[in-house]
Amino acid sequence: MSRSFVPRRSVLRGALGAGALAAAAGPLAACAPGSSGSEPRKLTGTPSASAKGEITIWNRSGDLFKVFDAAIDAFRKAYPDIKVNHQAVDIDAKLANTLISGTDLPDGSFWDDAKIGGQAEHLYDLTDLIAPYRDRTSAYKLSVNTVGGRIYGVPWDLDPGLLWYREDLLEDAGVDPAGLKTYDDLLAAARSLREKNPAARPLHMEKDPLLGQLWLEMLAGQQGTSLADADGQVRLDSKEYRNVLNWVRDAVDDDLVTHAEYLKQADLAALENGQQALVPWAVWWSFAPQQLLKKGKGKWRAAPLPAWTPGGARSGAMGGSSFIIPAKAKNPELAWLLYEFLCFKEPGYSAVYGPSEVYPGGLTTSVPSYGPARRPDKPLFEPVAALGGQDLWKVAVDAADTIPSAAPIPAWWAKSVDYLGNNLQRLIEGKMSPDDVIDDSTKKIQRNLVDRA
Amino acid sequence: MTSGTLTPPRKERAAPDAPRPARRSRRKPFLAPYLFVAPFYVVFAAFGLYPLVFALQLSFTDWKGAGEANFIGLENYTYLLTSEEFWSSLGNSAVMWLLIVPLQIVGGLAAAVLLANAKLRLRGMFRVAFIAPFVTPLVAMAQVWIVAFDTDYGLVNHLFNSVGLPDVDWLQSTVWAKPTLALLFLWKTTGFAIIILLAGLQAVPGDVYEAAALDGASRKRQFWSLTLPLVRRSIAFLVVVQTLAVFQMFAEPFVVTQGGPYGSTTTGGLYLYNHILASDLGTGAANSFLLVLLVFALSLLSVRLLRSRDE
Repeated sequence: MSRSFVPRRSVLRGALGAGALAAAAGPLAACAPGSSGSEPRKLTGTPSASAKGEITIWNRSGDLFKVFDAAIDAFRKAYPDIKVNHQAVDIDAKLANTLISGTDLPDGSFWDDAKIGGQAEHLYDLTDLIAPYRDRTSAYKLSVNTVGGRIYGVPWDLDPGLLWYREDLLEDAGVDPAGLKTYDDLLAAARSLREKNPAARPLHMEKDPLLGQLWLEMLAGQQGTSLADADGQVRLDSKEYRNVLNWVRDAVDDDLVTHAEYLKQADLAALENGQQALVPWAVWWSFAPQQLLKKGKGKWRAAPLPAWTPGGARSGAMGGSSFIIPAKAKNPELAWLLYEFLCFKEPGYSAVYGPSEVYPGGLTTSVPSYGPARRPDKPLFEPVAALGGQDLWKVAVDAADTIPSAAPIPAWWAKSVDYLGNNLQRLIEGKMSPDDVIDDSTKKIQRNLVDRA
Repeated sequence: MTSGTLTPPRKERAAPDAPRPARRSRRKPFLAPYLFVAPFYVVFAAFGLYPLVFALQLSFTDWKGAGEANFIGLENYTYLLTSEEFWSSLGNSAVMWLLIVPLQIVGGLAAAVLLANAKLRLRGMFRVAFIAPFVTPLVAMAQVWIVAFDTDYGLVNHLFNSVGLPDVDWLQSTVWAKPTLALLFLWKTTGFAIIILLAGLQAVPGDVYEAAALDGASRKRQFWSLTLPLVRRSIAFLVVVQTLAVFQMFAEPFVVTQGGPYGSTTTGGLYLYNHILASDLGTGAANSFLLVLLVFALSLLSVRLLRSRDE
């Protein structure tokens, strides 16, 4: 056997060392975290009506994509020299990564309000462009798009909370929907419904932790608070959250609750068989009677939410979306023109909310955040047959006007569901008290999210 | 070997008329091996070593995927080691291990013994049946699991109801979610265990059994005294490999339960992913190194146990 000129172990060791040096010294230094941070930029200039160019816009796939596609057609007619590539994209999966990497970016995108605050450094500051519309835009929507006093999203839809109820069942139980002015009235109505039908569990309480937390935020927002303050500090330990959580506990203790996942089979079955008759939820619940319910179709109605204190606000926001323009977009000015058209110009918002091929009666799952688009006397969508012909527009825009402003949604909000969303479920299951929910969630959100933000 | 015999005198090397073939023949064996192995090391450095060093560097920073990365020393490690959720994720993985590995070894060995029997009818069909789940995409199987174990409309509860048993919250109760996921993991990977054990069984020489039979050993005695000791290396290999797989388990809880209810199926792998998803890359990197250490220690323990038995 011949002897190797250089021992194999030495070759390995040397190569490993060289590899490590090469890896550590060159590329590592160049690609090390923090070496290529991006600075947020301010978008100020509005291009002229004769602007030319091409933009790529991302939207959610599904019905809403088709609605926007039709509305973008109206934009193309107004600005014939701007070519819009409208793409259906899994925004939740792709947008954040694309913003961070800075490659293959769209010029604008649809996005949840809850996600904008966390990515502000990768977005254009739109404060100056939105200034002319600011006074007439929902204070709530402006607040959730604002980070450090600057606005990073073009406010689009406003999702007011409403009280959905089965008119026939309430009538049978002798409950007047107009009399449901406080949350105590709501509990009393639920008891009346159960007296009429012992199998009834009239109040819907959400089983999905994320939607459950969104629902809780709607009820807290109705009282003018939210999970985090303007500095991103947790403010769960408050009178307002205690009000909501104590009310939930009372409803659970009185066995008035159907605990089911939003519009999954068990929920639909309980809605159809009359077990559930009261659903405090966002305006987008209108989807259920219009698309999913069969027996209950035509029997559901919407009313303002009850107030937490007599004379208090009758609605809160549950979700919502806006439009963002990435700081590294190629044609940000043209993207702004499109979003300005869709959100603040009459032909634009009418094209979005008005009758379309997808929704012949108009888009009924939200209302515009821009005040002039929300006139009660100029409805953008028609009365809804699946709600017995009720004028949902008027109910929704009246409710939208009462939504108090909030604080910016912190970047860690979605992650807080692991604590608050889960603990809310434990409360509904009777495994935790309201104080436990507040103490445990506050402690864990502070340690795991706020301190490490 | 001395330097004198290898290195020609300076004067001789400097001479312009020095014989070239002799110098070439010395260089060739020196450079050639490096050239031949270089591609491997380049690829290894780029895709193995560099990510490893980069991840190690990350684990000492607070990098969120963008902006400045600040060096924070051992803070990510101390955070994780004092975190209830980190230990809970390891606890979940440990329970999963207990639910999976012993059952898989025992069941896999029984199936392998059965399949090793040449007299078994429909042997080919059984082999296909065992291996089919292993080659089926996990996400498809997970979707079947979600439908089958649905509380309200699932097949399993339907069968339970048909014999008078009540509904069980398979995927929504902290008690049942782990066993339900463990069952999915077993369905998916037991075919692999059977292949390994079958290979181990087939490597045992037949004359060992003949000799034992001549000595009057019963089939039961043969199994305990011959089969089991002779396939213990295969068993040890499976324990190591499946320990790695269980502690890194990600796709099953990600698709079926998303780690819930209340984090009861958040495994070590999924907890690590959650940090990455939240752009907390520093903590994610630290978590991965802690998992590596843990799995390395468990693997070392298995190998040591095997070695001590050999000795």
